[in-house]
Amino acid sequence: MTELLPEFTLLQPTSIDEALAMHADVDGTREAVRYVAGGTDLLVNLRRGIGDPETLISLNGVADMTAITENDDGAITLGAGVTLAALIEHGTIAKRYPAVAHAAHEIAGPGHRESGTIGGNLCLDTRCVFYNQSLWWRQSNNYCLKYKGDICHVAPKGDFCHAAFSGDLAPVFLVLGAEIEIIGPGGTRREPLSALYTGDGLDHLTLKPGELLTAIHLPADPLPALYEKHRVRGAIDFPLAGIAVALTKNDGKVDTLRIAVTGTNTSPFMVEDLDGFAGSSLGDDAQIRLAEIVQKQVSPMKTTLVQPYGRRRIAGAMARRLAVRLLEAD
Amino acid sequence: MNKRHDPKALKASPAGTPTPLIDGPEKMTGQARYSADFYSPNTLTGVIYRSPYAHAEILELDVEKARALEGVVAIITGDDCAHTFGILPIARNEYPMARGRVRYFGEPVAAIVAIDEKTARKALALIEMTVKELPAYFTLKDAMAPDAVLIHDDKAGNIEREVHNEFGDVEDGFEQADLVREATFKCAEICQVHMEPHASLAEWDDERQHLTMKTCSQVPYYVHLMLAHTMEIERNQIRVIKPFVGGGFGTRTETLNFELIAGLLARAAKGKVALHLSREETFLTSRTRPYTEITMKIGMTRDGKLTAAQCHALQLGGAYAGYGIVTILYAGALLQGIYDLPAVKYDGIRVNANVPPSGAMRGHGTVDSRHAFECLLDEMAKELGLDPVEVRRRNLLEAPTETMSGIKIMSYGLDECIDKVEAASGWKEKAGKLAPGRGIGFACSQYISGAAKPVNWTGEPHAVVNLKLDFDGSITALTGAADIGQGSSTIVAQSVAEVCGLDINKIRVITNDSAITPKDNGSYSSRVTMMVGNATIDAASRLRDILVVAASEKLDASPQDIEIVNEMFRVSGGQDDGLPFQEVVEAALVDTGTITVKGTFTCPPEFQGGKHRGGAVGSTMGFSYSAQAVEVSVDPDTGQVTVHDVWVAHDCGFAINPLAVEGQIQGSVWMGMGQALSEETRYHKNGMPMFTNMLDYRVPSIVESPPIHTYIVESIDPNGPFGAKEAGECSLSSFIPAMVNAIQDATGLRYTELPVTPDRLVEAISKKQHRDKVAAARAAKEGATS
Repeated sequence: MTELLPEFTLLQPTSIDEALAMHADVDGTREAVRYVAGGTDLLVNLRRGIGDPETLISLNGVADMTAITENDDGAITLGAGVTLAALIEHGTIAKRYPAVAHAAHEIAGPGHRESGTIGGNLCLDTRCVFYNQSLWWRQSNNYCLKYKGDICHVAPKGDFCHAAFSGDLAPVFLVLGAEIEIIGPGGTRREPLSALYTGDGLDHLTLKPGELLTAIHLPADPLPALYEKHRVRGAIDFPLAGIAVALTKNDGKVDTLRIAVTGTNTSPFMVEDLDGFAGSSLGDDAQIRLAEIVQKQVSPMKTTLVQPYGRRRIAGAMARRLAVRLLEAD
Repeated sequence: MNKRHDPKALKASPAGTPTPLIDGPEKMTGQARYSADFYSPNTLTGVIYRSPYAHAEILELDVEKARALEGVVAIITGDDCAHTFGILPIARNEYPMARGRVRYFGEPVAAIVAIDEKTARKALALIEMTVKELPAYFTLKDAMAPDAVLIHDDKAGNIEREVHNEFGDVEDGFEQADLVREATFKCAEICQVHMEPHASLAEWDDERQHLTMKTCSQVPYYVHLMLAHTMEIERNQIRVIKPFVGGGFGTRTETLNFELIAGLLARAAKGKVALHLSREETFLTSRTRPYTEITMKIGMTRDGKLTAAQCHALQLGGAYAGYGIVTILYAGALLQGIYDLPAVKYDGIRVNANVPPSGAMRGHGTVDSRHAFECLLDEMAKELGLDPVEVRRRNLLEAPTETMSGIKIMSYGLDECIDKVEAASGWKEKAGKLAPGRGIGFACSQYISGAAKPVNWTGEPHAVVNLKLDFDGSITALTGAADIGQGSSTIVAQSVAEVCGLDINKIRVITNDSAITPKDNGSYSSRVTMMVGNATIDAASRLRDILVVAASEKLDASPQDIEIVNEMFRVSGGQDDGLPFQEVVEAALVDTGTITVKGTFTCPPEFQGGKHRGGAVGSTMGFSYSAQAVEVSVDPDTGQVTVHDVWVAHDCGFAINPLAVEGQIQGSVWMGMGQALSEETRYHKNGMPMFTNMLDYRVPSIVESPPIHTYIVESIDPNGPFGAKEAGECSLSSFIPAMVNAIQDATGLRYTELPVTPDRLVEAISKKQHRDKVAAARAAKEGATS
């Protein structure tokens, strides 16, 4: 049988202010009260006994988080509560930000995309084959560092949780230079997306209790970008490595090159040390160097059943060929 | 006597017409009720306490705190059942709940029945088990190590069973060969992943001391026997009902522990207990296709004639015997019966290990051996500069013939299968000629149409079917054949309709209620169409005879002169329209009232296999055959294999229901694709299964599903019902080697492990690139110096 959900109180605010007020009223820790949007990540975990919140605050009725707004300057604001399906179907996104639409389309299966949201995918809990298991399974394995346990079964000698971030949207937003809006008891802040992540698989978000990711801002003039997701199956699977590349050209040579990665590390991240490619026409040696830089910076661990060796190699290869495709595009 | 029909004349009749499954409407509209769908207010909830150790001696099991919890109705443990169970009378070494020792992670130890699931789960957490952990083994090497602890005290070396046989002179065969090659293939353990998780509903009538069970079995008869055995009650105290079942693929071809636990729980609770397993528990109770290592050696002359084959198979059988000896026998038995192979030697060993017991998955035991054979044959053909398709063609059999192991082959359509696939796939234009990274591969396979000797030998007919005809003019067919989605009930309806000259809508099929339907051995080894189909034809012929006599009396004619056309009984060649079916029924009922007839089928002794030890396994009334071509491309950067097209021809003797045959072939291809591309079990170093969910156990998605071009070949087997043979398993085996051979064609890489996942392939490709580079550098250097 499907495991039972724990008992909780479900609150259904209709505005961001109301959601924040409800959170404040519950007066609980972040564990005791959780926001929930599509639920495709959280509810699965709750059924497996991961988390036992007394209160869930549903964001599904919060109208001010479900819009895609085109601002006067051409920039786009995506409500964090916009579903992945709505994001894919939005004409402007498909036209001006095709990599965003493509990455969203690569997420899970059609049913998940109908209820899963942009904010949910950015906040997606980190994943590990020792963590995403049933209560009985984790109990029998003395739990793990990420939840209720003392050791990380992936790297038992360390005291670091290696659970991998596996959202598909983040790398595309990173290379596009997207910003996020966070509203909480302390007010509103707007930051680069990278500020959302701690780099720790155990507690991977910088959100403070009560804080809510409400919107994502996309720049008016996005860099040409592509996303490629490596996985065993063409649907359902989380990324074993996901690569977003943004590239501008000058006279047929690389001008700007940005690469971001998901699925291999505890956070999505921008690949560093790419400055040297400015002015490159990405010849054979440059391609090899580019792949090596990416290979070096990704650190897949045994958080999935697919071995790290291949994932590392494939991440480098995908980055290389996406960059070449962008350079060769009209 | 069975009426034999001219199949060409059948094309417009029920048999041979593509027919939607008769139980389709219920499934499509959600009306169908499966074992987990029978709710009533007084149903209690069962849960199983499972071992958190892979191998341990149980020192103490304390269930008292759990028993004391309010809402808990009963708790049972290994102490409540001292009988082992198992499909093979000679190899029952498994208790429904462990006694004294647990041998795999997740093995049932105790079970709780409570007023609801919440209470039952709370009680689970209160059970305390103290153990002494034992060394546990999850690989062939570790389990077979000389100093390994024995998993079963009576199985030395942790070897469950060994099989050794030789037919013909293998040494001599290799002497005759111009090329002898040997290779080892490693095939991961895989699971069936039927859509419906396991579920049973058991109701104990304490007043009458009577058990009624609804369960998701392929073999309700065997469940019935095992319930009586383990619960120490008479068979007449039990009624087993199989409701709609959402697939089986072999998992459910033996009684499973949860079914026995459900029965024991219901008696302990004196009530009705629903036991629904999660997907994780269903995976743990999967009776997998075991991890297998095959070392295959083949001898071939330079013009491609096979001279001998030698096969060594090691299977990681798991913690208990299960189908044990049968699986390891099958891995050798079907080396014969497909090609003209003068000598075959087989050595098979099934090894015990601390993983859940394996069992009979679609293509039982034969798939991995066939994979190894077809890959090696492909390699050798290419080495000799021969066309792999042509090599197969040079080694065909001719029916009727008999294998060295004593199995009669009365029909053989492999030649036609090969011709069809070769032409349709464009093989000659493509093989070895596609662009780099793209390739085409070819392979063949065969499978049995029912095990001619059942595992539980009683001497009874292999199948019995009852027909009832009453005042309403409808025929009710009663059969114990378990329709688990494969369409066996439709075959029964078509067969009756065909023989009696009726529309299929006049036939109602009632299945699988031991209180109503005749016993049937169940749905396994692709036996149902062959055996139940023949029994149905027998029963329908008897009914037809009764109706014809009644009609002849009314028409004042001789029974031999009566023909049935469009449900009218009339004198052959006469001018009269004749009598409508309903009138004939009424006439037939006058003297006897309700008519019941019975049909049976028994495999003649000469078809029950050779006299050698284990000869019953592989014995059959007829082999089906399959040829398959697969076209792939391989992304050298990501190791991703894309299957672009599949052409598959299947000799099923005669397609009684071409629609279902096509569906079965496609299903086989698709399941083979899962084994070939992505499916595998994994165990952590402590024996915990890492794969028991549908994210980590990667069944292909619709995205991977290629166009499958199916071609039905009809060789008309003289034993088959209307000439029919097996249709649901054979084409799984030919997919896997055809795909791996296509990867070879695409990349030059001979890959010997399954599944061919991207990470593995990318590693193999990078190693090959390195090897090629080194070889090129060396050649250049030598070229420079010479």
